[in-house]
Amino acid sequence: MSEHIVSSFDEELNGISDGIITMGALVLDALKRVETTLKNNDHNLAQEIIDADSQINELGQSVENKVFNILASRQPMANDLRLVFSAVKMSLYLERCGDMCKGISKRIVKGDLNEAQSPDTIDHLINMSIKVHSNLALVLEDYGNKNCDNSLKVWRSDSEVDSLYSGVLTEILNAIKTKPEAINALVPLLFIARYLERVGDQATNIAEETHFIVTGEDLTDEEKIQIENETIF
Amino acid sequence: MVNNMDITEGDIKINNQPIIHCSDVNVFYEEKQALFDVDLVINEKEVTSLIGPSGCGKSTFIRCLNRMNDVIETCSINGSIVINGQDIYDPEVDVVELRAKIGMVFQKPNPFPKSVYDNVAYGPKLHGKFLNKSDMSNKVEESLVRAGLWDEIKDRLNEPGTALSGGQQQRLCIARAIAVDPEIILMDEPCSALDPIATARIEELIDDLKVNYTIVIVTHSMQQAARVSQRTAFFHLGNLIEVGNTEKIFRSPENEQTEAYVTGRYG
Repeated sequence: MSEHIVSSFDEELNGISDGIITMGALVLDALKRVETTLKNNDHNLAQEIIDADSQINELGQSVENKVFNILASRQPMANDLRLVFSAVKMSLYLERCGDMCKGISKRIVKGDLNEAQSPDTIDHLINMSIKVHSNLALVLEDYGNKNCDNSLKVWRSDSEVDSLYSGVLTEILNAIKTKPEAINALVPLLFIARYLERVGDQATNIAEETHFIVTGEDLTDEEKIQIENETIF
Repeated sequence: MVNNMDITEGDIKINNQPIIHCSDVNVFYEEKQALFDVDLVINEKEVTSLIGPSGCGKSTFIRCLNRMNDVIETCSINGSIVINGQDIYDPEVDVVELRAKIGMVFQKPNPFPKSVYDNVAYGPKLHGKFLNKSDMSNKVEESLVRAGLWDEIKDRLNEPGTALSGGQQQRLCIARAIAVDPEIILMDEPCSALDPIATARIEELIDDLKVNYTIVIVTHSMQQAARVSQRTAFFHLGNLIEVGNTEKIFRSPENEQTEAYVTGRYG
């Protein structure tokens, strides 16, 4: 699509897109560090993730302000309107992803992963974080390229995340039964699993939004069911 | 030239019954062609917006609908425009009668240099209607009420129409058009000379009028088209590029040229 006649309109739209892309990069970075934190039980790194969350929130606020101004001053239409409207939702999804990373880090800082005596479960949580990182990276790549090549892949992969979550949940509940003395260290793992699963959900929300920006159409419930039915594990 | 097969109808949505059928409409000013094979159906008791850059043919097209182009000697038209089953370019058609059925409001308010009352009564008198004074007064009042002007000027009926504000003059012109009981009202950029408040009043009026009348409006304001119309047609270089439900045109048009225009990318 060519540029606007008014070049400052392009700059303002790019400002919104760039804000979302930067938020996405920060969330991906936080997720990567969650993975490292889980691997190394690194409390200092977890604290860094907690501290860095405010930056994501500030960017989200900045995107919302830009959207507010552009709606008031430009009255965008068609693909511009879709991009601007979706930016509000995207920033909210990414802000929540940041909150989830912060939540995971808080659980790690408060407890001690080693006390859970569940190295396999930690490995499975790491796998979950790798998977949701990959999904989020794919949909953000789509957003940056203004296409939805990866949207369906992410839809399929979210079922995989759900499946991983389900497995981890069973493992933790079984561990609580067999090692009740470790319950204080095991319960935070439940929360961590839940947070990662929710980041996966936000990635699918972002995939839906990107699909809407690019095509102008919402993914219908029928399409979602069809995609889920096509998924084979 | 865009093949008519490329013209898209947008989302499937229940619209009112068609009242105007335009097929293969071509318009020429001497040798220069201004419209190319325009096929457009306009539904009754809906507002249809015609949008497009200057010189795209939208005003030429709207003027075809009540044969206003007849007064331009160099203008010729072929194709067919059927309104309520009648080909309006049939030689048997009484053009004066046609224009009573299809009223028009122009860009610049153009009240006659007569009183407010006489401006509204002029059309009915011309067509020999309401010869009884009381009936005529009732018609004038009814028309001014429908044009949303009665409460503001009921005590100023003897003042010249030209003494009213710009917005009031435009609504007086609408009242004048309504007074002859048209079925269709054509509006060629009716708000372009008005301030935002007067524009809002006209838009409110258009909303009310569509209950009883079919309205076709040419506008340069995309926001106005989005606010007032149920269907929107985009013209470019004399071609009808896309027509569809307004929501679809401004949210996710099918055609790239339409998208470029409504987003301000068309240069």
